[in-house]
Amino acid sequence: MSAHDLTGPNLRLDRLPRRRRVNRLMEVLAWLSASVAIAILGILVFSVARRGWSELNLGLLTKAPIPFSLTNAPQGLANAFAGSLVIVGIAALMALPIGILVAVYLNEFAPPSIRNGIGLVIDILAGVPAIVIGIFVFVLLVVGSGQNALKGSVALGILMLPFVARATIEVLTLVPNSLREASLGLGIPQWRTTLSIVLPRAIGGIVTGTVLAVARVAGETAPLLFTSSLVGPQINWNPLQPLQTIPVAIFELSESPDPKDHARAWAAGFVLLLFILFASLTSRWLATRNARRIAGR
Amino acid sequence: MSSADATADAARRPFTGRRVRFGDLVLQLVAGAAALGATVLVGLIAWELVHGARPALSKYGLGFVTRIAWNPVLGHELYGAGSFIFGTAITSAFALLLAAPLALGAALFLTELSPQVIKAPVTALVETLAAVPSVLIGLWGIYVLGPILRDHVEPALHSTLGFIPIFGEPGAGSSIFTAIVVLAIMILPIVASISRELFLGVPHELKEGALALGTTRWEMVRGVVFPYARGGIAAALILGLGRAMGEAIAVTQVIGGGVFIHWSIFDGGDTLASKIAASYQGATSQLFSSSLIYLGLILLVMSLLANIAAQWIVRRVARKHGVTRGGHA
Amino acid sequence: MPKCGSFTRITATALAAVALAGVVAAGAGASPAKRAGTTISGAGSTFVSPLVAQWISPIGSAYGYQLQYSAVGSGAGIAQITARTVDFGASDAPLTPDQVTACNGCVQIPWALGGTSIMYNLPGVKNLLHMDGPTLAQIFLGQITTWDDAAIKKLNPGVSLPSTKITVAHRSDGSGTTYNLVDYLSSVSPTWKSQVGVGTAVNWPTGVGGRGSSGVSAIVSSTEGAIGYADVAFALQNHLKYFAMKNNSGKFTTPGSRGILAAASSDQKADANNAYSIVNPPKKFPEAYPISTFTYVIVPLQSSKAPDLKKFLFWAVTTGQKGPYTAKLRFVPLPKSVLVVAEKAIAKIHS
Repeated sequence: MSAHDLTGPNLRLDRLPRRRRVNRLMEVLAWLSASVAIAILGILVFSVARRGWSELNLGLLTKAPIPFSLTNAPQGLANAFAGSLVIVGIAALMALPIGILVAVYLNEFAPPSIRNGIGLVIDILAGVPAIVIGIFVFVLLVVGSGQNALKGSVALGILMLPFVARATIEVLTLVPNSLREASLGLGIPQWRTTLSIVLPRAIGGIVTGTVLAVARVAGETAPLLFTSSLVGPQINWNPLQPLQTIPVAIFELSESPDPKDHARAWAAGFVLLLFILFASLTSRWLATRNARRIAGR
Repeated sequence: MSSADATADAARRPFTGRRVRFGDLVLQLVAGAAALGATVLVGLIAWELVHGARPALSKYGLGFVTRIAWNPVLGHELYGAGSFIFGTAITSAFALLLAAPLALGAALFLTELSPQVIKAPVTALVETLAAVPSVLIGLWGIYVLGPILRDHVEPALHSTLGFIPIFGEPGAGSSIFTAIVVLAIMILPIVASISRELFLGVPHELKEGALALGTTRWEMVRGVVFPYARGGIAAALILGLGRAMGEAIAVTQVIGGGVFIHWSIFDGGDTLASKIAASYQGATSQLFSSSLIYLGLILLVMSLLANIAAQWIVRRVARKHGVTRGGHA
Repeated sequence: MPKCGSFTRITATALAAVALAGVVAAGAGASPAKRAGTTISGAGSTFVSPLVAQWISPIGSAYGYQLQYSAVGSGAGIAQITARTVDFGASDAPLTPDQVTACNGCVQIPWALGGTSIMYNLPGVKNLLHMDGPTLAQIFLGQITTWDDAAIKKLNPGVSLPSTKITVAHRSDGSGTTYNLVDYLSSVSPTWKSQVGVGTAVNWPTGVGGRGSSGVSAIVSSTEGAIGYADVAFALQNHLKYFAMKNNSGKFTTPGSRGILAAASSDQKADANNAYSIVNPPKKFPEAYPISTFTYVIVPLQSSKAPDLKKFLFWAVTTGQKGPYTAKLRFVPLPKSVLVVAEKAIAKIHS
């Protein structure tokens, strides 16, 4: 269908009422589509909140689970919250420096052909399914030596890497070249220019990208099934052992026949959802604010 | 590469003949090593998967890909990927079919029809749907969506369209149909946000020119926006498809499980990803686990193909329209 | 802005982060720290998981051990201990000769005694229903499909049974509970024995698969007319009814302490691998529940965690069998003769 179709017989005035009706129909459908998309989000958040409300208390975060409890002693998912903190935290510590280095190389040093080539590979890495990354880390690190939280962090770190790298490249691009030129003109070597002038300018965008990446992996279940799922109910902070995580806990609880387990799953899911929504929306707001600041000044 | 790229690159390195400092070399090496590592990673992933699947690869070869079997009974073990490849294809294709019109409609709304005031919040909300963790969508799918589909939608579809074999007897809440709806929800925001950016990139002169000729807004979209963004939309759809193919957790929670291929989408089944997620912990033999890794290898190949295709289209379209990397309309 | 200050800051932070990442990544490749005495990890049978769950807290207080148990099914438990990814495996199905060889120096120790209940969901019927082996086999073969079938009616005279469809719920993973059930079905039904046979995973002629005993319990709870099987603790926990099964002496017995203990007395001689077969006891054990089973822990004879494993296992087969842990779950304390066998086997573990 090309622009030619916009002339001649298709634009007949006598067909105008019909054409207007079709137009109106399409507008209504477009409104409906957007409403459906938002409605789905609303229904999801509402469902999770409503069902998790009954179990949502401080005990969820502070008390350990009691599997096969014969009494009605209060229990929670403290081991999962602790483990998630450790695993996601270490994953961010792994992905951040590597992502920044990759972005620095691509934007400050690489000739355009390499930049496009490696950029393409990074985009492809972003599309590898999380479960495949899980199998990869499993075969590479877990087979023969067992699970632990660090290996889970490696898997999550790989998932985060493209996000951090892409966000950093975009913000490095926004740093005006005049800044680099001025610094080089003053005799400052390129490495020092990059580290003490360009990067600090880009910190806002890097933080934004990291927050977005953290939001992305905080809810990932599949890679952790392979690397950190043989866990106990005790609250454990040791990264050299497999630790329970919130998404894996929700996954396991969702398959239980006990309605109380389901309520705990909804409650933990609600907390997770709030965290992720907050992180996503905040980073989005920060991004627009930073973009203006970095390029402008 | 456009001229803007060349100028930017030259500006980044204004003194090409200058003395290379030691520090420059170190930074370039370290950063280059990181970049090299990231590049090599994709190949390493494929390599390790081949390594892990070796027992199954050597025993079954390529016949595994088409065989419809999954028998873990010790002594009679036989594994094959056929039904799971079929499951992946069916669920992803139908999910895309369901999600694409909604996503394109939402993107059109945001670019053409939305009042300025609500544009930003609505965009943020649509894209936030992508941030909801899959395990939560799966949990919601088991206990909220599944029963609704089982009790209301499936009987309605069966009674009106039951003559078509895919609409068979309503089953349990967990079924291929539930998985399709869940996947559609998951890929909707991706396709919508990419399409939205594409539609924003259509040059104003083209759109206004069409309107000046007396077209209605819809005719303008049909005649100018869609043809211009055609390649990008294709890429967005393929990216959505790739995402749907790779989803393991939400699918395994709602798909019901099953090895044999049934006609009706109201029955249970499995996809490559969901089978791996469901069976990995309970693998009882090395042949079992390596067969699961073989499934992962097939999934990797399929999603790589989809991804590479989408990225290639994106870059070709960007070149055609003169958009430089990193620039947004 | 002072270039030195921000330069130093940036470089220092970057170096620290990279160093940390490097150290952490190196740790990732290393084996988990052998903090002997702290964590004991196991995986396997869902049948015994309710009992093991009760042991977690007292073991922690008594010895400071962090007991971690993943109920992934007996089949997977055997695979994991063979691969030495856990410290112990748990299985209700005794190791086959091939598995003993593959495990390469493992010892199998009976550590609990329980019964598999055949649970069902039939809301309209209040009475405790009766069932026998041959009829159950026909149900699992798919030959009997509705509740008002003549065979079921014959076993339950005077009870009005609805015409609801029977949905069979079975295990989709490798399960010792499955082994217990099909071992029983094979001994009461020649058709089952020839058509399907015995194993931790079989080709089920009919029915829906669930993962773990919880998965099967979930299917039975949510599907009217469903019949499934799991350790009786799961039936109790999910308020599911179970059949009274007809044993060889003609009595209908339930999986309670009396029935299970009577079944246990039918085989007092352990085989070479310390395994017992107490399924479908002969008629001179009139109180026996016919689908009872011992369940086993599988540990390597030689392990760096030997002292801790021994302490844990001794506790499990003695204190762990006491009333507060076992009674509510309908596990039966190990009989004396079995306890002797178990303790002798535990003593063989060395570092």
